[in-house]
Amino acid sequence: MDEGERVMVRALFLLLVAFSLHADVYQTNCVSCHEKLPVSIDKYFYRYLLNYSSEKDVKRAMLEYLRKPDKQKSVMGESFINRFGVKQKSELSNGDLKKALNVYYETYKVFGKLK
Amino acid sequence: MSASKNRVTDLASSEKQTLFRFASLFALLSIIIIGGFSYMYFSAQRELMLQEKKSTLETYSKQLLQELKFLHVNFDKTQLYPRHEEYESAIFDSDKKLIFSSAPTTLRVDKILYLEDAYVTLVSIAESYYLGAKYVVVKVKDDGVWLKQTRKELIAFNVLAFVFMFVIGYALLRLFLKPMRDALALLDRFIKDTTHELNTPVSTIVANIEMIDKSMLDEKTLKKINRIDIGAKTISNIYQDLTYLTLGNKIVTKDEELDVARVIEERMDYFKSLADAKKVSLSKEIIDSPTLLMDKAKFSKLLDNLISNAIKYNKLKGSIKITLQNNVMSVEDTGVGIAKEHISKMQERYSRFNNSSGGFGLGLNIVSSIAKEYDLKIKIDSREKEWTKVSVSW
Repeated sequence: MDEGERVMVRALFLLLVAFSLHADVYQTNCVSCHEKLPVSIDKYFYRYLLNYSSEKDVKRAMLEYLRKPDKQKSVMGESFINRFGVKQKSELSNGDLKKALNVYYETYKVFGKLK
Repeated sequence: MSASKNRVTDLASSEKQTLFRFASLFALLSIIIIGGFSYMYFSAQRELMLQEKKSTLETYSKQLLQELKFLHVNFDKTQLYPRHEEYESAIFDSDKKLIFSSAPTTLRVDKILYLEDAYVTLVSIAESYYLGAKYVVVKVKDDGVWLKQTRKELIAFNVLAFVFMFVIGYALLRLFLKPMRDALALLDRFIKDTTHELNTPVSTIVANIEMIDKSMLDEKTLKKINRIDIGAKTISNIYQDLTYLTLGNKIVTKDEELDVARVIEERMDYFKSLADAKKVSLSKEIIDSPTLLMDKAKFSKLLDNLISNAIKYNKLKGSIKITLQNNVMSVEDTGVGIAKEHISKMQERYSRFNNSSGGFGLGLNIVSSIAKEYDLKIKIDSREKEWTKVSVSW
């Protein structure tokens, strides 16, 4: 293995670690809770998509909502809110929220999935 | 244009230039008008076709949206994009990023309905962004029937319009030319009438002078007779020039092998008295003696005009030298010369650049028309106030 390959392997490894760390933020702080809810986590995603269309707009709207949950701003239906209420304000830092949202978006995005 | 064929339309180059400018301007104007109309008509036809296709495309668009809605809701079960034979489609998000397309499509948000790359395309903005799709593009192949039809109509229209504009232009041109034609026609008619009336008296004078036995006359009378001879010959020359022009190609020509040197000699003899009167010396330098297949009368006319000009525009006690060598005959004088800018206009009829002596300005026009007929080349060199050299080569 020459020097170049070694560097590449190291970079790849670091990338994987970084991604798994992000995935961890998402996994521990988002999925773990949502799993227990009767509405699966992807449903929210498609709701956002329906209302905000582009990646940038979707992520921004999600971030805003997570930091400041508001009944008026919710993309979910009225009956849903009435039944489950508005979520708690997220305790995560801005950076962590963004990391978690990136993973969330990558998991459910439509790009590249249509056939 | 031959000088003799259609005298009335024999227009000078400045007038031709004016006409050419007028014609160009008119043609340009016609093209702009017809082009403008054609473009407007084409645009209108295209718009009509687009509007006809619009309702169909709107139906397709609604259908696609319904299918996208279904897909949005069931995205966890199926990811198969709805496709149809009748149309192609594409969806873009609010950042105009392509989500999916059934055929290569670029999004244009500046127009709702347009024709591009042979597709009639409709862009609609969805109220709900199913699968994130804000812009829904549906397009159908343009069959081109309207284009063929429009092209046919435009060709017909263009042909008709050009014919119409041509007729108008021609009528305008005639109107525009009329004063010019009238003036030239008047001049021609006047000359024709005058020459006709000159014929008999001039012939009588010349014939009678020739009949006088000059040895019988005393010196004083001989001098007077000589002056009459010169005057009569001058009139006779002008008369012949005018007859040549007014009768033009009706003169019967008889081409023969001419001994050019001999003709030069003959014509020099004829002009001797005229030259003497102005104290101009006539000399010749004949280096070789070529022959030329040409009508003798016409060659004489050509040479006469050159010699008579050389005498007319010479200074007192000047000289004229006629040279013949290598199929080039040149007549060189020590006269008033011609300004450079006038040389190109010299062969036009009625052009005269010197008012010191009389004349109609016909001479060189005749020379050039004869030269044209026999494919001779005329070259004029001159230095103002010093000399003029006219060379004829064949």
